[in-house]
Amino acid sequence: MKTVKRFWFGVTATAALATGMGHAAEMGAIETPIKLAVNEWTGQHVTTRIAGEMLKAAGYKVEYVTAGYMNMYQALGNGEIDAAMEIWSSNVSDEYGKQLAAGKVTEIGDLGLEAKEGIAYPAHVAEICPGLPAVEALRDCAGQFATAETLPAGRLVDYPADWGTPGAERITGFDLPFKAVPAGSEGALITELRASTEKKSPLLITFWQPHWAMSAYDIKFVDLPVGEEACFEDPAWGSNPNATHDCGFAPTRVFKATWSGLAGKWPAAAEILANLQLSVEEQQPMMGAVDVDGKSVEETVDAWMQANPDKWKPVVDAAIQ
Amino acid sequence: MSAARATPQGTGPAPRRGVIAALVVLAVGALCLALVPHLPWLGGFPDAWALPVTRWVDTGLTWFLGLIKPGARMLSAALSYPMTWANVLLLHTPWPLLVALVTALGWYVGGLRLALLGFAGFSFVVASGYWTESMNTLSLVAVSVPLALLLGGATGILANEVPRVKSAVQTIMDVMQTVPTFAYLTPLLLLFGFGPVVGLIASAIYAAPPMARNVMLGLERVETDIKEAAVMSGASRLQQLFLIEIPSAATQIMVGVNQSLMAALSMVIIAAVIGGFDDIGWEVLLTMRKAQFGAALLAGLVIVAFAIVIDRISAGMARQQPRHSRRIALLIVAAGAALAVLAWLYLPAAGQIQLLVPAAEWLDARLTQFVRAQGAALDAIKNGAMFYGLLPLRIGLDGAVLPFTWGFQWTPGMSAGFYAAAAAIGAFIAWRGGVAAGLMVPILAGIVETGIAELPWPFVLIGAGAIGWVAGGRKLALYAVLMLAAVLLSGLWAKALWSLYLSGAAVLTCAILGGAIGLLCALSPLAWRVVQPICDMLQTIPLFVFLIPVLMFFQIGEFSAFLAIIFYAIVPMIRYTRHGLISVPPDLIEAATSSGATTWQTMREVRAPYAAPTILLGLNQTILYAFAMLVIAALIGTTGLGQSIFLALGQADVGLGVTSGAAMAILALVADRLVQGFAAERRRALGL
Amino acid sequence: MPEQASAQQPAIRCRNVWQVFGPGAQDHLAQALKQTGGDAGATAQALRALDLVPAVQDVSFDVKRGEIFVIMGLSGSGKSTLVRCISRLIDVTAGEIEIDGEDVLGAAKTRMTQLRRRKLGMVFQHFGLFPHMSALQNVAFPLKMQGQARAERLARAREVIELVGLKGREDAYPRELSGGQRQRVGIARSLAVNPDVWFLDEPFSALDPLIRRQLQDEFIDIQARLRKSIVFITHDIAEALKIADRIAIMRDGQIVQIGTPSQIVLEPVDGYVRDFTKDVAKGRHARLSSVLTPLAPDAPPPADDPGLRVDMTLDEALSACMSLYDPVPVHGPDGQIVGMVDPAELARAVQVDPV
Repeated sequence: MKTVKRFWFGVTATAALATGMGHAAEMGAIETPIKLAVNEWTGQHVTTRIAGEMLKAAGYKVEYVTAGYMNMYQALGNGEIDAAMEIWSSNVSDEYGKQLAAGKVTEIGDLGLEAKEGIAYPAHVAEICPGLPAVEALRDCAGQFATAETLPAGRLVDYPADWGTPGAERITGFDLPFKAVPAGSEGALITELRASTEKKSPLLITFWQPHWAMSAYDIKFVDLPVGEEACFEDPAWGSNPNATHDCGFAPTRVFKATWSGLAGKWPAAAEILANLQLSVEEQQPMMGAVDVDGKSVEETVDAWMQANPDKWKPVVDAAIQ
Repeated sequence: MSAARATPQGTGPAPRRGVIAALVVLAVGALCLALVPHLPWLGGFPDAWALPVTRWVDTGLTWFLGLIKPGARMLSAALSYPMTWANVLLLHTPWPLLVALVTALGWYVGGLRLALLGFAGFSFVVASGYWTESMNTLSLVAVSVPLALLLGGATGILANEVPRVKSAVQTIMDVMQTVPTFAYLTPLLLLFGFGPVVGLIASAIYAAPPMARNVMLGLERVETDIKEAAVMSGASRLQQLFLIEIPSAATQIMVGVNQSLMAALSMVIIAAVIGGFDDIGWEVLLTMRKAQFGAALLAGLVIVAFAIVIDRISAGMARQQPRHSRRIALLIVAAGAALAVLAWLYLPAAGQIQLLVPAAEWLDARLTQFVRAQGAALDAIKNGAMFYGLLPLRIGLDGAVLPFTWGFQWTPGMSAGFYAAAAAIGAFIAWRGGVAAGLMVPILAGIVETGIAELPWPFVLIGAGAIGWVAGGRKLALYAVLMLAAVLLSGLWAKALWSLYLSGAAVLTCAILGGAIGLLCALSPLAWRVVQPICDMLQTIPLFVFLIPVLMFFQIGEFSAFLAIIFYAIVPMIRYTRHGLISVPPDLIEAATSSGATTWQTMREVRAPYAAPTILLGLNQTILYAFAMLVIAALIGTTGLGQSIFLALGQADVGLGVTSGAAMAILALVADRLVQGFAAERRRALGL
Repeated sequence: MPEQASAQQPAIRCRNVWQVFGPGAQDHLAQALKQTGGDAGATAQALRALDLVPAVQDVSFDVKRGEIFVIMGLSGSGKSTLVRCISRLIDVTAGEIEIDGEDVLGAAKTRMTQLRRRKLGMVFQHFGLFPHMSALQNVAFPLKMQGQARAERLARAREVIELVGLKGREDAYPRELSGGQRQRVGIARSLAVNPDVWFLDEPFSALDPLIRRQLQDEFIDIQARLRKSIVFITHDIAEALKIADRIAIMRDGQIVQIGTPSQIVLEPVDGYVRDFTKDVAKGRHARLSSVLTPLAPDAPPPADDPGLRVDMTLDEALSACMSLYDPVPVHGPDGQIVGMVDPAELARAVQVDPV
């Protein structure tokens, strides 16, 4: 995971620069629907729906195709899916790297979501461990977080193993008396948060934003020094002179990627997708509307697009005029 | 130790064998125990000794898959046509008409009872609000099942016609059913590309073996008289087969069709992990991700509704019984059509009807309430089970007994006392006549003291070999040792031991608990009436759904995984125990009763021993189920082979996925053969 | 209890026993009986109309102490059901059954278990041997249920096994025994507790004819020594005639005739019973007493007296007076002439009915 992650840093800058705004382009094959991947989480549904509706406004046909996030890159490389609108650099299948290297997939820039990952806790935990959000506080209240599986160490719920083990790395990095327990899935993470909030029980968990659960369960991050390249390579860096990873998580990039043939087949669409931007402030309320208030993705996105034409109309207009 | 007193006095070969085997295992165990501090390579298998099997498999398979990929892609393209047709057909049929069609079919096959069942089942689907997703699922099943039937039927006939390939076919089917489906999803993805067709093929692969087995069984059981009559009528081999033998085996073959259908349905959810298709399985996964238990349960129950309706109607078709009035069936369809026209005008589209959503939300709220109120009690349960059960089993008493858990520290002195006590008990049992059983006591004590996950590998190998020898002779012993050695060399040994520990603990619990419930159900028809629908549901509902409450109650960790496995794997134990106990010939029961045996005496002296082989088969199924569930339990967060399989799926790592899957299958197959060996021995002893 | 029971008291007494299978049988039966005024045939018909199965209908009989009472009928006639009613392996729908004067239908479950442990023994058509026990363990099983100590019960089991002629095969398992040997184990097991009442449900039907005859002979032999009260079920008329003191013929759940073998053979009540007996050589079963004509008070003394006695079978009598044409006198046990018989009549009676 780690090597893959660092590999992304290099690619991004160039990809982001390559796409400027304001070139009108050919429409291309408007009779063939453009297939957008719909993955497993609501934020991605919102993003994809916005992208799809923008393409429709430009005059394209759009098809939403459900696809497992970890398993869709083959299909993206083969053109069975045309675009994936929300790929998280912190958690991406090795297959993506292979497809990208083979030139079958093109990266088309960041989405604009300022994602943050870190070690987090529901707000009520601050009462159990009063020193929070300082990381040093965890050293003293580890016992509060201990469970049968981790005794005598405290328990830190880590990402599912296939997303990497950032939690375990922080434990060694800061030399905390904790033990990382990998979750099996995102559902397991959410369930942990939900149960802890209901039971008012202690919980320390690796988590990220934007995520609807951030507001639903009032989640706070533990303060960690900003993660930089040096921290991951030089033990001397940071508070612990003997270990790497004594800092926050590597910054996460959320970016978009398409089948390499997309730009040739639908030039204007490629431009729209490349220029689509969405911020946490815009996406997170929509996620809340869907997951907390129970509205459908369709009505939420339609309402937002109607209320905020300035956020998307210029992008469409620039591409087709 | 007790061995010194042992004087082999068994009457048959099996008891004497048991004594020798136990002696050998005890000696190896003691030797390992003594040597591990000095020779650490005895404890954990050194990584340096493992072969890079994973890499070889990866290279080999990638090459091979690349080779057949063009053909696979053509097949995949060809299959997408019928799939689309089925999908269009189902989605464009108005829902009242479809409900009426199912009701009419139910009537025709099984009268009022099945008609009501069909109506209720499909009405539930309508009310759930998942109509579109359900129809997508149905269209997948509608294509994959005929494919599976064709595949399985052809395989069964082939095995029947060419006796030489029969055992090979059996082995392949065993493997197909024991390798966790998740493990072969990755190669399938590479081969067939993306989308519903992969799910279709995966479920066809999974659903074919039951058909093949039943075709083989059915053809095998055609009476010789009938076959000879066909030959004497001058029929050619093909005529014999298709005009005489297959029709004669029709009932058994229909059982195969029924089982295939159920297998395909249960695969739907697993195939959804790939995505590409907005089906009901995908819906379950989505709601799971949001930890919405109510919604996930609702979506899961849609699958249950399908399963029950399809199961009962296809089972009704398998029975040869008079059909009910065709006229009434037509009338029902007509009513449905009329309603469909009405629906066109007035009723909402099926997807808009969401009558059950409030119920789902209510359930979710109740769950929250319960967790809030019972948090402390739930934690106490979990801690008790962990401290006194699972932890000692995993890392042994010496590791698990700490001031935090048991209130004191385990010392070497306690170890010595523990072993001495075990030896004394063993010696006493041996003195009373049970030499092999007496020897088992110190062996078990050694396992508990060391912990399954930390057992020295020579001990595990020799132990498995010894059990194999007792259960089925030298061949079985060799089989067990060689298979386990393969896992050892693959470098997945530590993970395999971990999986062994978790499934072992779960199987043990299932055997005790399931056996007790099965016994209760055998004694009381009322209890069975309560337990049976629960068993049905546990076997058809996507078990993912239950992961949510389990997680809410007990958090991520092995205890939750342990519970999830038990939920699933306990069912066959209950069923087989009950079935074995109640299907004792009435002759024997009457003989016991008229000898003055009370109900309990009959149970203990006659029913239980007679049912032993059947119960062993149940145990066997429970073991296989536990291994199957181990992969799903990885969704909760476990280490072990299940986790490797998921990791591989995420990373499209064919080598790791297939090797871990194979390791899992090996563990399951070895356990299967060992238990089968014992069951066969018992059956022989009973003269069955 | 058996010691106190008077000799007149029957070992088993059945009155108006009904066994009806189906849901709600008890209520339906009571209702039907009320409607038909207790008429068995009409009641059965009414029950059948309700999809119930009246397997045993209004059966009444007594089994005397020390008697072999044979219930004979074709399969499906309800005879096996009837014997299970008496031993209460199934619960009776209506009626009264007493064993040694004790009401078994009202007896509590524990009392029944006690009765079975001490007083009742049963042999099954398909032996009902426990496959996981040796012959010896099988025989000792009822004693184990009584709670007898191991050594004691094994000693008794050996004794009974010797009685049935299986000495030396004690440690064999059922699967290692022939059919005849298995049923010997079954008989031994039912005798282990030394029961007063012995039920045998088609004990020899599953055996081949030669073994069957051998076991029948041994059975008669054992009974001569033990004098049990026996209910014996069979579908074989020859077997019934051979061993029975009295026979009850069952058809469709009803007893159509009860009588001694010669009554059954010579005075069948209807065509059904006659059909059963028509292939039987009557001469071997019927006694002279059944064809006796009373001595006319004013008749002249007969010319010939071949010395016939009432307890001779017809065959024996016929061979003694084969060459005579006029009626000959028959002597009672004390030598007195008690009646006459016409040799021509005798020859006709012995003749097998034409098919």
